[in-house]
Amino acid sequence: MSEDQASDADGIDRGGFVAATIGADASLAVEITGLDKHFGGTKALSNASLRVRRGTVHALLGGNGSGKSTTIKILAAVHQADAGQLRVFGNEYPLSNYTSAIAQQAGFRFVHQDLGLFEDLSIQENFALDAGYPRNSAGGVDWRQLRKRVAGLLTEYELDIDPRRPIRDLRPADRTIVAIARALQDQEGDELILVLDEPTASLAAHESGRLLDLVRRRSDQGQTVVMVSHRMQEVLSVAHDFTVFRDGKVAGVLTDASPTEDQLIELMAGAAVQSLRPSGSVSHRTGKLVLEMSEVHSGPLEGVDLQIHRGEIVGVAGLVGSGRSSLLQTVFGAVQPTSGTMSMAGTPYSPSQIEDAIHSGIGMVPEDRGRDAAFPEHSVSENLALAMLKEYSHGGWMSRSRERRAAADLIKGFKVKVAGPRALFTSMSGGNQQKVILARWLQRKPLLLLLDEPTQGVDVMSRADIYSVIREAAASGCAALVASSDMSELHALCDRIVFLAGGKITGEVAAESIDVDSLTSLVLRERNPTGASAVTHPDSSASVQREGGTT
Amino acid sequence: MSTSTTSNGASTVTEPAPRSDRAGAMTRFLENYALLILTALVFVFFSFFPASSATFPTLTNLNVILGSQAVIAMIAIAALFPLICGFFDFSLGAVAAMTQVLTAGFMAKSGWPLWLSIIVPILLAGLVGLLNGFFVTKLEMSPFVTTLGMATLISGIMVWYTGGQTIVSGIDPAITKFGSSRLLGLPTVVFVLLFVAAIAWYVLTHRPFGRSLYAIGSSSSSAKLVGIRVNRNVWSSFVIASMIAGLAGVLQLSRAGSASASAGNDLLFPALAAVFLGATAIAPGFFNVIGTIIGAVFVSISVSGLTLSGASGWASSVFNGIALLAAVGLSTYLGRRKRAG
Repeated sequence: MSEDQASDADGIDRGGFVAATIGADASLAVEITGLDKHFGGTKALSNASLRVRRGTVHALLGGNGSGKSTTIKILAAVHQADAGQLRVFGNEYPLSNYTSAIAQQAGFRFVHQDLGLFEDLSIQENFALDAGYPRNSAGGVDWRQLRKRVAGLLTEYELDIDPRRPIRDLRPADRTIVAIARALQDQEGDELILVLDEPTASLAAHESGRLLDLVRRRSDQGQTVVMVSHRMQEVLSVAHDFTVFRDGKVAGVLTDASPTEDQLIELMAGAAVQSLRPSGSVSHRTGKLVLEMSEVHSGPLEGVDLQIHRGEIVGVAGLVGSGRSSLLQTVFGAVQPTSGTMSMAGTPYSPSQIEDAIHSGIGMVPEDRGRDAAFPEHSVSENLALAMLKEYSHGGWMSRSRERRAAADLIKGFKVKVAGPRALFTSMSGGNQQKVILARWLQRKPLLLLLDEPTQGVDVMSRADIYSVIREAAASGCAALVASSDMSELHALCDRIVFLAGGKITGEVAAESIDVDSLTSLVLRERNPTGASAVTHPDSSASVQREGGTT
Repeated sequence: MSTSTTSNGASTVTEPAPRSDRAGAMTRFLENYALLILTALVFVFFSFFPASSATFPTLTNLNVILGSQAVIAMIAIAALFPLICGFFDFSLGAVAAMTQVLTAGFMAKSGWPLWLSIIVPILLAGLVGLLNGFFVTKLEMSPFVTTLGMATLISGIMVWYTGGQTIVSGIDPAITKFGSSRLLGLPTVVFVLLFVAAIAWYVLTHRPFGRSLYAIGSSSSSAKLVGIRVNRNVWSSFVIASMIAGLAGVLQLSRAGSASASAGNDLLFPALAAVFLGATAIAPGFFNVIGTIIGAVFVSISVSGLTLSGASGWASSVFNGIALLAAVGLSTYLGRRKRAG
């Protein structure tokens, strides 16, 4: 219905490619072939390709580390490709000296998950900072003209908002739309390609529905869109074409198709995904309860029930924004739950601050090591001691040599590659830094270790070391709660994996009873693995209807 | 890092590794003690420089230097506490002036006994720190503007309190007697300073509280996640700073024997110069007590030498300004190099 109106309304040759089932070369907006990219020893992309037809919404799909983000980052000139050809609207752009200025000139406009808007400034100033302020005859800013132009653009993007309002007043979906309108504001005559990187990751379902409807309508008017998203139903509701990445290669291309969710997930998960280590790990689970949460509400968490036992490694799986980090922060006392109860080792537990959590025997390895765990200008020894200040105080004095001896023991015990306890924290590689952070907590012999993306930015070798450190701790009775977006990590490391969706634990599986692929598809579906339909998407019925109308 | 590579390049073929090790240890030593060596050189220079050699290296002059320097050094130690966790406190000069005026005023105007006239102003100084800390931590106000505003406010109130007059009479002579007294040939106030410095050093290096402050200065979010109560510690640092500055004000009264509302800010900037100079010594890249004392001595020796050499009154301001800029530049550079590893 809406498509018919749209093709009447504008002059771009939309009819041509709607008829064409397989895009001819002239109708291609972007054509990438033979794309290779290495990061150190790991191959991020190998002979990858992408063909985006003009005026379509093209979805890039794939799990973590599949190469879809790397492809986008190469297009944005954040990374430089090792090899490959790029054509945009028929023009060849050599990837060997490809810069962000060339990307801009070629017609790429990026809207990332972090929208890059200035929260405190008005909408019109956000536009002007990108494209320049219009000047009046006296050389000052012509505010009236700016307001008129931005108001026109906002109307075009179906936003009925005063351009003088600050960004912080806007609803989340409207902010994204403003970011899109800003990215495309200089589209006059030239055709631009809008690249959306996880546009709905931080939006609630009804908000993202609005955004996706707009994206689809813009594309019906001839806008070419490349979109990266984890959310299956959303992608299905909006995209014409699909390119599925797996292990740095293209696992499948679906042109003008309406695949089922299962088909896409099969392509994404595949059979070739290998866990770093086979999950035949010994489960150290014993009967004794360490942490018990019941009906805990906190931020995005809406009634979490969870039990963790001594020596057990429990993984938390869930999509971006599902509240994985909030769960850990609530247990660690960084965030106070609004309702619900927790108990640690059988006694009621309600931490009012992080200190309480630490005294109850909990440690946490945060996701952002550089910002939340490191003391960058201090030594390794100091970084270790700072979690043990009271314990290291003896008779009113703190012996640095004693601390360094303890640090030396920890460095040896955790196989940290570093010059010595006096070496600066930042002199180590990411993997070794992470080992030091782990050692910081394990020296306290915690009852429960919270790990948020424990191997992010860590090389493969250190990753195996970190896993064995966590397992050894579990063997000695420490329980661990691991939040990770990497399914092979959860599968390789954990005894049991719980699924977090819609603010609740929707189910759990034992790691040995499932393979990585099934785990991936369970998370992507955002559904209860036991089969009971726990999560329903409010916009899923609408999207099915639209898909039916298109084909 | 960079020094070892250059020495490798310069060294002859034999045993480059030990040479670069020795060179590394040498540069580390120079880095840690450069300020101390520089201070000694300045001292030697003015002792033999014809224009100042007659007056500079005399016992009288050294006592004047040490005595006047003690108050500045104590304000510098006060400033250390918030600076270590990354916050400026510009109100410390005004706080010192406040206690100087109030101690004198309580005795002269209200006839309070000496001990009460000392304790009450220092407690009031603590209250100022309590307010600063509240604004900065709980209300998350900019520490720069907050403490600057507080300084202006205090100065204004003190002008009102004194009526713009200098308080000279009615001050208990015991306090001025203490200010000019000597112990082991040195001004007694120097021992008060050393006592406070020793406690500050102990707290900052051997108490969990002090080390928490350094952790907060490095990364407050990391500090929070290792269980350090960031707000409480920052708040305490403002209170401690104000109370030490308050004590410095009492010492200033004991040396000057009089008090006026305008005295404060002259003390703050040399003190900040001392703190930042101190961050280039002993533990380069970190604010530290011993470095701060050396920094204070360096500034006062240099200024005294310049003055006795016949330099005009503006010379000391110019020198303080240059020393502050150089010190901030150097400590920033050292900090950044540390971070880069």
